[in-house]
Amino acid sequence: MQHRRREYNIVILGAGGVGKSCLTAQFVHNEWIESYDPTIEDSYRKVIDVDGRSCILEILDTAGTEQFTAMREIYMKTGQGFLLVYSITSLNTLTELSDLRDQILRIKEAESVPIVIVGNKSDLEEDRAVHSNRAIHLSEKWGRVPFYETSARKRQNVDEVFLDLCRQMMRADANSGWGSDGYGKEKPPGGKKPPKTSGGRQGRSRFCVIL
Amino acid sequence: MLAPSARNSTSSTSSSFATSSFTPVTRQNTIGSDGPRSVRASKRYSVTALYLSMSAHDKDIEIEDELAKVQKTLRDLKAKISSQSKKNFVLEKDVRYLDSRIALLIQNRMALEEQNEVASHFDESSELQEGTFPNDQKTQQYGNLFFLLQSEPRHIASLCRLVSMSEIDSLLQTVMFTIYGNQYESREEHLLLTMFQSVLSAQFDTTPEYSSLLRANTPVSRMMTTYTRRGPGQSYLKVVLAKQINNLIELKELNLEINPLKVYERMVKNVEEDTGTLPANMPRSVSAEEAAANPQVQAIIEPRLTMLMELANTFLATIIDNINETPYGIRWICKQIRSLTRRKYPDAKDQVVCTLIGGFFFLRFLNPAIVTPRSYMLIDNVPSEHPRRTLTLIAKMLQNLANKPSYSKEPYMAKLSPFVSNNKVRINKFLNDLCEVGDFYESLEMDNYVALSKKDLELNITLNEVYATHSLLEKHYKELGRDTEHLSIILEELGSAPPQLPRKENRAINLPLFSRWESAIDDISAALDITQEDVYFMEAKSIFVQLLRTLPPMSPAVRRPLNLRKIADTAATMKDMGMFRKGMRGLELLNQLKDLGVITDLDNYQILQEEVEQELVHLGSLKEKVMEESKKLDEVYKTIRDHNAYLVSQLETYKSYLHNVRSQSEGKQRSKQQKQHVLGPYKFTHQQLEKEGVIQKSNVPDNRRANIFFTITSPSPGTFVISLHYKGLHPQDPGPDITPGCLTIKVHKLTVVTLPGRNRGLLELDLKLDDLLEMQQNNHDELDLEYVQFNVPKVLALLNKRFARKKNW
Ligand SMILES: Nc1nc2c(ncn2[C@@H]2O[C@H](COP(=O)(O)OP(=O)(O)OP(=O)(O)O)[C@@H](O)[C@H]2O)c(=O)[nH]1
Ligand SMILES: [Mg+2]
Repeated sequence: MQHRRREYNIVILGAGGVGKSCLTAQFVHNEWIESYDPTIEDSYRKVIDVDGRSCILEILDTAGTEQFTAMREIYMKTGQGFLLVYSITSLNTLTELSDLRDQILRIKEAESVPIVIVGNKSDLEEDRAVHSNRAIHLSEKWGRVPFYETSARKRQNVDEVFLDLCRQMMRADANSGWGSDGYGKEKPPGGKKPPKTSGGRQGRSRFCVIL
Repeated sequence: MLAPSARNSTSSTSSSFATSSFTPVTRQNTIGSDGPRSVRASKRYSVTALYLSMSAHDKDIEIEDELAKVQKTLRDLKAKISSQSKKNFVLEKDVRYLDSRIALLIQNRMALEEQNEVASHFDESSELQEGTFPNDQKTQQYGNLFFLLQSEPRHIASLCRLVSMSEIDSLLQTVMFTIYGNQYESREEHLLLTMFQSVLSAQFDTTPEYSSLLRANTPVSRMMTTYTRRGPGQSYLKVVLAKQINNLIELKELNLEINPLKVYERMVKNVEEDTGTLPANMPRSVSAEEAAANPQVQAIIEPRLTMLMELANTFLATIIDNINETPYGIRWICKQIRSLTRRKYPDAKDQVVCTLIGGFFFLRFLNPAIVTPRSYMLIDNVPSEHPRRTLTLIAKMLQNLANKPSYSKEPYMAKLSPFVSNNKVRINKFLNDLCEVGDFYESLEMDNYVALSKKDLELNITLNEVYATHSLLEKHYKELGRDTEHLSIILEELGSAPPQLPRKENRAINLPLFSRWESAIDDISAALDITQEDVYFMEAKSIFVQLLRTLPPMSPAVRRPLNLRKIADTAATMKDMGMFRKGMRGLELLNQLKDLGVITDLDNYQILQEEVEQELVHLGSLKEKVMEESKKLDEVYKTIRDHNAYLVSQLETYKSYLHNVRSQSEGKQRSKQQKQHVLGPYKFTHQQLEKEGVIQKSNVPDNRRANIFFTITSPSPGTFVISLHYKGLHPQDPGPDITPGCLTIKVHKLTVVTLPGRNRGLLELDLKLDDLLEMQQNNHDELDLEYVQFNVPKVLALLNKRFARKKNW
């Protein structure tokens, strides 16, 4: 299994209507979708070349509709890299990202996780409500998480955000071998994540047998 | 002379008052008219209001017939649901907060200060004490403020638009569960809906294109979430979804995945597991197109498509059949969306309008409950993988029906397009039908009059709710817009808002509401545009109905055909003072009405007599309806009480855990000689645990179950030893159907090694509270002990109950 292509799980998160699905459809199918079609949960697969290495991306496009938030936790568990999308036409959508990142870090039990901040709808300059400085500030605060402004409509920076995320995931992969905690590992044959180690925690006796 | 239309309408309308309830379907749907307010309609409502206020104020005699009894039950039930759903809403917030914090605590990633902060949250969940404001003046001022806020919803509507998303939750809690907290009272419901409307139309005004309408998370969407948590929304979801979802999640192994990639993957995995290798023509990963073209994959998917469409069809059919169960408020909001859309986009096609209604009704209300039924109290446990996916697929299908699907996103969904095309007409009709409900403006006006004439308008509210609302108003009131004169006077007088009180000092108060500007109406008829004749007529009707409901059934006076004079005479000779007064007043009214020429004794007062009869017939059938409604609400109440019990036990578990952690870290600093007190062992039979649901699956053969028992000991707080015993087993014997020797059992990431032959038990395991909580966090509901499978939440509940030590385990 040495030469198996690397497989990564990407999860797209962000408020309702910011353009998560349009962005994904542009990236995967090169298509602009104009219909009124709120997402509940869609999955995509795409094979891409990143710096000469072929990767399989499993992309999960999620619901921004707040009534579906109960599902997020499961997504976050399976995801290895996250696009956090807001719309430059609404400040609220940017502020909502902080909670998402907190939740990801908590669930991943990690200090950092591959994330890209995406400010979509950059073609709507006349309706801009979020200056890019605000997002840059957020990115600094999160430890220089990459940030892009994109337009799904004009297909600007679409490939770039996905590529950036892939590179992050690959780097994370290289840095962490098997068995250490973190993310971005190649899947073991069963398709399951390797067991999480409980190293570093104290005083934890697990189930054991008294003989 | 009374207009005929006025009289005919009263009997049906009075029903909603007679039950003190909100019965929208019979009321609004039949009487409401969309047109401009007509003189006749206005008069009709006036007379109705008059009749209602007359029946409402009468304290002279207490009616105790069967109807009165069932009505009382219903009223109590409604009050209980209203207050319980508020409690749950608050508890849910606490549990959600703790859910997120506890995870950190388990991972040992929480600083001590934060632990203290979390601990302070637990104090917040105990019952509130009753209290009052610091002084009468404050009571008056706040009573005035909240009367204004309640009766003029536009202030809160503006506030909802101005506050930040972080402020809105607590504001909405106060609005939906306190200010308009009587969820079955028509006036409060209607005022709340008026507020909805104004927030909704502001949203339409500020959204440039319809494609982004109602998509973002805004105050409106947050209001929706909160609104659906009230009693009526929950009953509805239960009616239309609970049974089908429960049936579906029973079928744990039913895999209806139709995404070719996923199907292919599983196929590969199965082949690999069965044969150990993969044939050369079966690459591990393929493209979506390759997977979809694979004949084996197609063969697997084919029957699943049929099943999915059948399932979705049953869901849809139930939803459509139960259109009349849909809460009035939800339907009315749909109607607003329709009319706002038509107004803003006059050229919008019906399809577009339906898309928007569906984007609300399905996307924000039904589908979230289908996809995550546990959060809506429809099921007890998180569904396992396959049913979860099936439910998601069904929700996607229903959403596709409501919107224009673009199959280019997930091409495999196109296979389900027959479901969409076969039901398109049906769904559009349904969505339009949903909007067919009457408005309530006129009845609201009357309700407001009646409210003003009630002298005991009260609000059960907490000091902190009062102060939080006050401070939001203070912060935003300059932007509240026009017509805020009264509001600013009160705010001026109140001065600056007091800070939030620490939990221990927070109090629940009964705030008497009153209006400084509108004096209470003593004589409602004066406030309404009706004649003296109407007043007498309605009063007479009201009195005779009451007398007939109070007189003993055997009394000759109640014999048919009704003789009104005889009824009044009989009452007027009774000892009961109330009856006596009523009888006298009845006689007086008959004479007055006769003198005015409204009725005549020549035909035995026929007009009045008929109307009294009609009202009685109506009340007779009302009893059935009231009982039916009570039965339904009883179930709702049971559900939310169960949910409450679940939330409370969850909170208890967290609490114990936190105390445990803290006492351990304290213990480290203190001397170690304090001896821990061992609790147990307690013995439990297999049967007992099975009945309580602790054992959710058992591999022990039926005939051996009687021989199995468990003991649980807690050697120190937070640690438990569970052992499984087999009665009559010699230490050397092998266990029940287990191979002698070493047996390895996987408990998730953990390994249990069992060696039979110990006299302490066939299998023993050390269990830490941390582990159980972590499993619960990860939605691992199963604790696998090879012979039996425990249910984690139930184990926690059991331990909680049996081993509750003082303040820690
Ligand atoms: N002008 C412009 N419009 C966009 C862009 N991306 C998306 N939109 C529009 O925004 C609306 C919502 O886009 P979606 O991709 O469906 O939004 P989403 O984030 O997937 O929303 P949910 O699935 O509800 O969470 C659509 O009507 C798109 O046409 C963009 O880059 N520019
Ligand atoms: Mg989407």
